[in-house]
Amino acid sequence: MEALLEARDVEVEIAGTEILRGADLDLRAGELVAIVGPNGAGKSTLVRAVSGLQKPSAGSVSWSGRELGEMRGRELARRRAFVPQRMAVPAGVSVREAVTIGRSSHLKPLRRLTGEDRDGVERAMERARVTRFAERDLTTLSGGELQRVQIAIGLAQEAPVLIADEPTSQLDLGATISVAGLLRELAAAGLAVLLVVHDLALAAAVADTVVVVSEGRTVASGDATTVLTSERLAEVWKAEAHLTEHDGRTALHVAWLEQRQG
Amino acid sequence: MARRAIVFAALVAALLAAVVCSLAFGAVKVPISEVIDIIFGNGGSPTDVQIVETLRLPRTVEAMLVGAALGVAGAILQGALGNPLASPDVIGVTGGAGFGAILIIILLPGSIALLPLTALAFGLLAAALVFAFAWTGRNRGSVGKVVLAGIAMLSLFTAGTTGLLAAFPERAPSAIFFIAGGLTSSGWRDLETVWPYFLAGFLVVLFLIRPLDRLALGDDVAASLGSRPQAIRLGAGIAAALLAAASAAIAGLLGFLGLVVPHVVRMAGGTSSHTYVVPASAIGGAALLAGADTLARTLRAPIEMPVGPFMVILGVPLFLWLLRKAV
Amino acid sequence: MRNKLAPLLAAALVFAALALPAVANAAPQPPKRVVALTPFAANTLAKLGVTPVAIGQTLGGAERFSPKLKNVTELPLSHPNGPNLEQLASLNPDLVFSSQTWAKGNQAMDELGIDVVVHDPRSVAGAFADTFKIGTIMGRKHYARDLLQQQRKEVEAAEQGIEKRPKVMLILGVGRTPFTFLPNSWGGDIVTRAGGKLLTGGVTSNSGFERISDEVVVAENPDIIIAVPHANEDDIPSLTEYLRSNPAWSSTKAAQSGRVYISVDNSLLQAGTDIARTIRKVRRAYLKN
Repeated sequence: MEALLEARDVEVEIAGTEILRGADLDLRAGELVAIVGPNGAGKSTLVRAVSGLQKPSAGSVSWSGRELGEMRGRELARRRAFVPQRMAVPAGVSVREAVTIGRSSHLKPLRRLTGEDRDGVERAMERARVTRFAERDLTTLSGGELQRVQIAIGLAQEAPVLIADEPTSQLDLGATISVAGLLRELAAAGLAVLLVVHDLALAAAVADTVVVVSEGRTVASGDATTVLTSERLAEVWKAEAHLTEHDGRTALHVAWLEQRQG
Repeated sequence: MARRAIVFAALVAALLAAVVCSLAFGAVKVPISEVIDIIFGNGGSPTDVQIVETLRLPRTVEAMLVGAALGVAGAILQGALGNPLASPDVIGVTGGAGFGAILIIILLPGSIALLPLTALAFGLLAAALVFAFAWTGRNRGSVGKVVLAGIAMLSLFTAGTTGLLAAFPERAPSAIFFIAGGLTSSGWRDLETVWPYFLAGFLVVLFLIRPLDRLALGDDVAASLGSRPQAIRLGAGIAAALLAAASAAIAGLLGFLGLVVPHVVRMAGGTSSHTYVVPASAIGGAALLAGADTLARTLRAPIEMPVGPFMVILGVPLFLWLLRKAV
Repeated sequence: MRNKLAPLLAAALVFAALALPAVANAAPQPPKRVVALTPFAANTLAKLGVTPVAIGQTLGGAERFSPKLKNVTELPLSHPNGPNLEQLASLNPDLVFSSQTWAKGNQAMDELGIDVVVHDPRSVAGAFADTFKIGTIMGRKHYARDLLQQQRKEVEAAEQGIEKRPKVMLILGVGRTPFTFLPNSWGGDIVTRAGGKLLTGGVTSNSGFERISDEVVVAENPDIIIAVPHANEDDIPSLTEYLRSNPAWSSTKAAQSGRVYISVDNSLLQAGTDIARTIRKVRRAYLKN
């Protein structure tokens, strides 16, 4: 299948510091890719760079064969939706209004919403399961609800790719399960989903492909069990740990206090 | 939704009332029936025609235009900078326009006819300097940089203004009305000079409303939707500079209006959605200035008071009351 | 007896010697070193034959001073004190004739031990009264009486033979928001004495100036508009054009008949000593009555 996103040797420099030194990424329809790595490895920078939010200093990024640098905002908005870790929450804006803003990339300047646009907003809310509280203000939502609304905003863009930067990092267990399930469902329905994830057990459970980023480079990519080996966990995370998977349930067994004793 | 509609309707009603009062009342008593006749071109005594057509009508239009422009300028700046303290003062426009006007009034009285254009030019110059400094170097276009560069520029031009006033105290009375902010009865003369700047400002704002709503969800969401946050901020800054500088050219320094009106409509409407806040600020600003100007020139008639301080005295209690309710 | 009288006499002499200067002090001794911050005080002093040690000059001001004051030190005046207080103190004045404009400076001068007298006459009668007061302070009552008699005669003569009493709007300052002179201002009194009927809109004000609605100007329709801006001779044509084309006033008789005038000297703004000449000039150049 043709890759929706193809990134090769991407480098990013921010204020004179090299954050990304060579990262590759591929993404196909219906695939859920999780990017993992230690703090400061460049995970967020990588997804921001391929999304067009951070200008790469070298390397190539193409979306369905179109070079990232050649696309204007509107075209890019039709190819991918980016869901930030936590969006700004303006006062007095309801869920439906926020999702409608997500639809605005489809509108020509000064044009009003068409019936099709309104249907699109409803569809996005239903897929993200936020319709139940569509009239509530964003400021009244719980962390899990807000994350689902953010995903709904991304879905309203109706792009074939949804990119989310640590969507679960601030959620409790239940909310994390709910969001993870939602993302898996979306991938199953044909969407390409790219996630930055901290929780390796979660990544292993939901991702088709896990990409490991370390010190600005993508060092491994593939099935969770083949990528997240004990050797790699020791090398990249400096942790004595191993991943287990059984019947769709994953666990990370960590020797939490081992090193201190040693 | 219903709440917004009610607030909107109330604002429109307030504007209508303000406009009617502005046309009907003044230092010279003209019967309302005659005012109506004059406006619809059905005669009236020549003096009254002169008063209503060349004095009250242009002044009312100026009040609406300036009020709307300042309300909108404040609304888009607060939205674009994500800062509740943003107003045309913050991008240097007010300070620059004030300096330009005082320069003419104090040092070049013979060129007094150039006052509106000079105020406008210096207002835009100050804003351009703010953007130039804020958009260079590291972290270009960040809210902090814009606000700090703006405050610095405001201080610089204000220092120039007060320096001139202190050097020529006997000339200060001519400048007081400009600094205090107030409308004048000078026919269509000033509007004929500055209307293109109002038009350009309002047009840019029309195209900014939706991008500002995206920006309200954060820079990343805006970028996801294909907008460039820095471009939205710059566009909002330019539009606000045009509107505020053109306003200063006509009515002097009325910074308070741009700061408070958007907050009032946000609190009253219970939302910060720009599709509501921007037009509501325009109507609210127009109503407030037209109403306050009518009071300023009729309360002690035939003496005219500057509308600026007057509006602040009227506006602050309302503002504080809403602020208390807004938690 | 003689022997007894001698010490008494001696005591009386000592007492007299001690008392004499005290008696002399009780009688007003005119101040010697005088500073005049206003042109009115400066010129009045000159006319009374007193030369002040310094006179005030505002920045960019066109004060009209008597030729007798040509060589007198000029003190630049600026907000809010008026003169530089160190410069003023270095002149060691006994008395300063000041203005209400420099109220803050006046207080400071007082604290420096300098006597301050404020004279801001806003009418011809007030100028006469102040002239006499200045004469009294300077111990030249006699000269002041003569001067006043002459001034009164001249003013009376200048007010003779008025045939027309046009309606005059007298405005202060530059810009779109001029203040109107009221009768209790210097310029207002001069124009009234010259035979003009001052346009006031029925307003009174302690300051002598008020911002009057343009609607009243249109309604009262002045025959003549005289503006007193801070400007130079060179600015007169452009200012005249600006005022005449003011949409609020362009329909007035003054604008229609080309009777919009600009007075750039301070003669209508500040009290002067050449009162009769000012009245004659207003009649000749502006009122044409």
